[in-house]
Parts: sequence; C-alpha cells; structure tokens
Amino acid sequence: MRALALAGRRRWLPALALGVVAWGAEAAPPTDAMGWLERAAEAARSASYAGTYVHSNGQRVSTVRITHVNVNGQEHERIESLDGPPFEIVRHNDEMFCYYPDAKTVRLDRRVNARFFPSLFRAGADVVAQSYDVKLGGLEHVLSYDCRWIRLQARDALRFTERMCSEVASGLVLRAKTLGLDGQVIEQYTFTDLKMGPAVAREDVKSLLESRVKRWTTDAQPRDEAKSVDTGWTVTKLPPGFQKVKELRRTLPGRPHPVSQIIYNDGLASLSVFVEPNDSPPRTAEASSEDGTTTFFARPMGDELVTVLGEVPLATAEAVGHSVARRP
Amino acid sequence: MTKEISALMDGELDPQEAERAIRACGMDEDRKRTWFLYHMIGEAMRGQAPGSLEVPAGVAEKLRGEPSVLAPHRRAARPAARVAIAVAASVATIGIVGWLGSQGGSPVPVAAPGPAVASSAAPAAVVASSSAPAPVVAASSAPVPVVAAPVAAVSGSIEPVSNTAAIQTVPALTVQEYLVAHRQVPSPELYRAVTNRTPVDAR
Repeated sequence: MRALALAGRRRWLPALALGVVAWGAEAAPPTDAMGWLERAAEAARSASYAGTYVHSNGQRVSTVRITHVNVNGQEHERIESLDGPPFEIVRHNDEMFCYYPDAKTVRLDRRVNARFFPSLFRAGADVVAQSYDVKLGGLEHVLSYDCRWIRLQARDALRFTERMCSEVASGLVLRAKTLGLDGQVIEQYTFTDLKMGPAVAREDVKSLLESRVKRWTTDAQPRDEAKSVDTGWTVTKLPPGFQKVKELRRTLPGRPHPVSQIIYNDGLASLSVFVEPNDSPPRTAEASSEDGTTTFFARPMGDELVTVLGEVPLATAEAVGHSVARRP
Repeated sequence: MTKEISALMDGELDPQEAERAIRACGMDEDRKRTWFLYHMIGEAMRGQAPGSLEVPAGVAEKLRGEPSVLAPHRRAARPAARVAIAVAASVATIGIVGWLGSQGGSPVPVAAPGPAVASSAAPAAVVASSSAPAPVVAASSAPVPVVAAPVAAVSGSIEPVSNTAAIQTVPALTVQEYLVAHRQVPSPELYRAVTNRTPVDAR
C-alpha cells in the first residue's frame, strides 16, 4: 500500500518539475494587492494575446474579437466587432484606424479616452488607489486559467466599484465587473476564448477589412481635432480623484461650430464635459439618463448647453454639470 | 401587476412574491399575455427572433404591423430623468442612445427619430412619460420584429399605436454624438464623417 502510494507520488515528480520550469518562466505573482494591480495594467499593454470577449453594459451586449501584440515596446492591436455591420479598429499605440467597409471610410483618431478590454486603466496604479481601496479577492477558474480577483472598492459614492480577475501567471485581466451603487453588476467584460504568448503574431493584428474596399476615403478630422486647446471652460468643483486629461474642440455632426470638450478621469472612470451654444434648438430643461455605467446629464446654462457624459453615477455627472464655469 | 411581472422576470422578487406573481400569471389571460409580451421584448433585445416562443394566433401578425417599441428601463423613472435609453439589437460596441428633451419640461411624451440614425435601420429612441415604466418608441423601420407597449399591454388591448398618436415630433438632440466624442469609437450605425467634404453641385 505504501509502495503504491510512493509510486503514485513518483509519477507526479516529472509533472511537478515541469510545473516549476513553467513557473520560472513567469515572474512569481505579486504578494500584495497593489502589485497585482500594477501587473494587470502592465500585462494588458505588454503581453500578446488574442481572444473574444463579451461586453455587457446596462441593456447592451456586444461581442468583440481582440488581437494584441507588443513588438519592441510598440503596441499593435486589432479590434473587430462580431455583431452588426462589419467594422474594425487597428491601433498602433495611440493612433487608431477605424475601418467602415460599408461607408468605404477609414476614420483616423488619436486615442485620448478610448479603452479596450482588457486594458481598463487610464492612469497608474497609484492614481487608481487614491480613489479606490485596492484589495485581493478569491481565486477563480476562468477559461482553464486561474485568476485572482482584484477588488477596487470605490472610496466614495462618486464612482463605481470595480472587480477584475487577473490571470495568476501573466496578470492579464480575464474578467471585469462594475458594480452599481446598489451592488448590482451593471457592466461586465469576460473573455470567452483566449490565447496568450508567442502563438499570437504581428501579422494577426493587420487589418482584415482593408482589402475589402478598393478606395478608402480617409476621414482625418477626428485625428486633427485630438489636440489640446484652451476651451476657456473649467469645472470649479471637480469630484476628488478626478484629473483633467485633455481639453479639445470636436466637430459634431450637424453642428455649425465645434463643441468644447474637457476630459477627466480618476484612473479608471472617465467623464467628458461638453459646452456648446444652446441654440439648435434651445433646450430649456435638464435631462439625464443612465444605462449600465453610461450616464448622461445635460443642462442649459445661460446661452450655453452643458453636457456631461461618463462612466460615473448620475450624482457625479450632475455635480460636475452644475459647476462648469468660464475660466477666470 | 405589470410591475410584478417585470420584477419577476428580472429576478427581483423574493420566493413568496415570485410564487404569487407566477400563480397570478397562470390564472388570467391578460397577465399571461403580458408575460408573453415581456418575454418577446426580452428576446428581441437580445437579438433573437421572437419565433422561438409559441406566438398566440393573430398576436404576431398584429404586432408586426405596429411601430417598434422596446422595453422599459428597469429602474423607476426619476423626476429629473426625462430620457430613456433604447437599445438596438444590432448595435455593436457602442449602443444607440437617444436623447429627446421635451421642451419646457412638459411631461407630455415626446418622440422623434434621432437624426443620427434616421437614415439607418437602427431604432432610435425616446422618451418619458411621468409613469414608470416609460415606453420607448423606435421611430424608424427597425428590423427588430417586436413590438409592445407594456403600458397598453396591461389593459389587454395591445394598441401601442394609440400611444404614438399622442406623440409629437421635435428635433432631437442625440446622446450618440457625445458618446462618440467620449469613446472615440463609433459603431457603423453611429459613424458619420464630419470631414468638410465639398458636396457635388447638382446644378
């Protein structure tokens, strides 16, 4: 009986040795929550991965295929919507090429606020930790990977609490949830298939749709407008933890003049403040909506219309919208 | 009762309330129909054809002739929230969100096709009566085959048309454009070039 047990144990030895080798290839998982957070943010940038994820936000659900490689510190990414009409985004660091084959148009833009799962952070872990209490949660088995939950508990009611399940070996986030103020899940990302590492090649992030259209029209205006300007507007009572990322002027369809846009984030959640003449036609009442994490609030302010849109609770959007003023 | 059925479907009732709601559903034709309609709405919103349900004779046919109306927002309407968000089953990455402000804060339901999607097949949005749940009316000829005004369904007479008749059209200021500016990645339904292309002069 003992011999049998021993033999059984011996059979495990080579497997154990292999496990150790595989373990050695990856850095050991961090020991503290901040370490896990930093590694999760870094993995989304520096790892190579290809997979499909489902994103649900409020009443909307979408399926997206993402392929991401990092070659010599350069990020290349291809994002393809698997629902609806064909459309694809090819990203090289902050340069985004959005292909719309039906419109035969490629839209150029420079990333300011766009983010794509599993890359959810908009600032360093230290900035995130100012607004969220970072703790480690339990282990879960997802897509045959082990991942550990990182709990980002909002320090106040001005933002939503987040949970991310970070793969034990690489740190890559496999699943993420945002909880509403009542604790219900209001937004969720989850990979449904995923491969990581050298199996993903640079060729895999080249556009698949580009060859479908002979002559693409280039819409470069979004990129031209993605530069900092002084809009003359500011938010006087910015919720704690939020920092200004950029202010710019955007041309919105059907408007004669560009709209001022100021973008803020707390490292995770972001919001945009828009200011424009209130004349097309003039709005007289406040309006707001919430769906999933997306909150919208608009209010007439003298001759201007102030609009706030972001992944924040309505009270936060309202507070911001009520404290927009001309910069002294 | 409609609220209970809605809550039951959302899994928001405790076991006793749920049992009561289920029993009530089984005993009453109108409630049965409401239950059925809510499921159809749910299926449509998930992009599934309602054909997977046994459609009572005549109902499907009648529904097909109606304007598209999507399900109510789950949360209770807030006095300040005069906006409903509609969902297009076909919309990728970014959903369609329509904002149609009622002028002067009038509680009269107001609907209009969002100009950003008026030419597309995607349903646009709207509105808000003071009562929750607010029916959301899609004004375009959306491919979504389903239709039902939950409020009308309560009475058993499925006539969303009578709702839309009272609706006036105002130019819509849409949330979509802000959403595109914020997220930078318009889905094909929302994409509109802002490039100042010189239009070809027809004269």
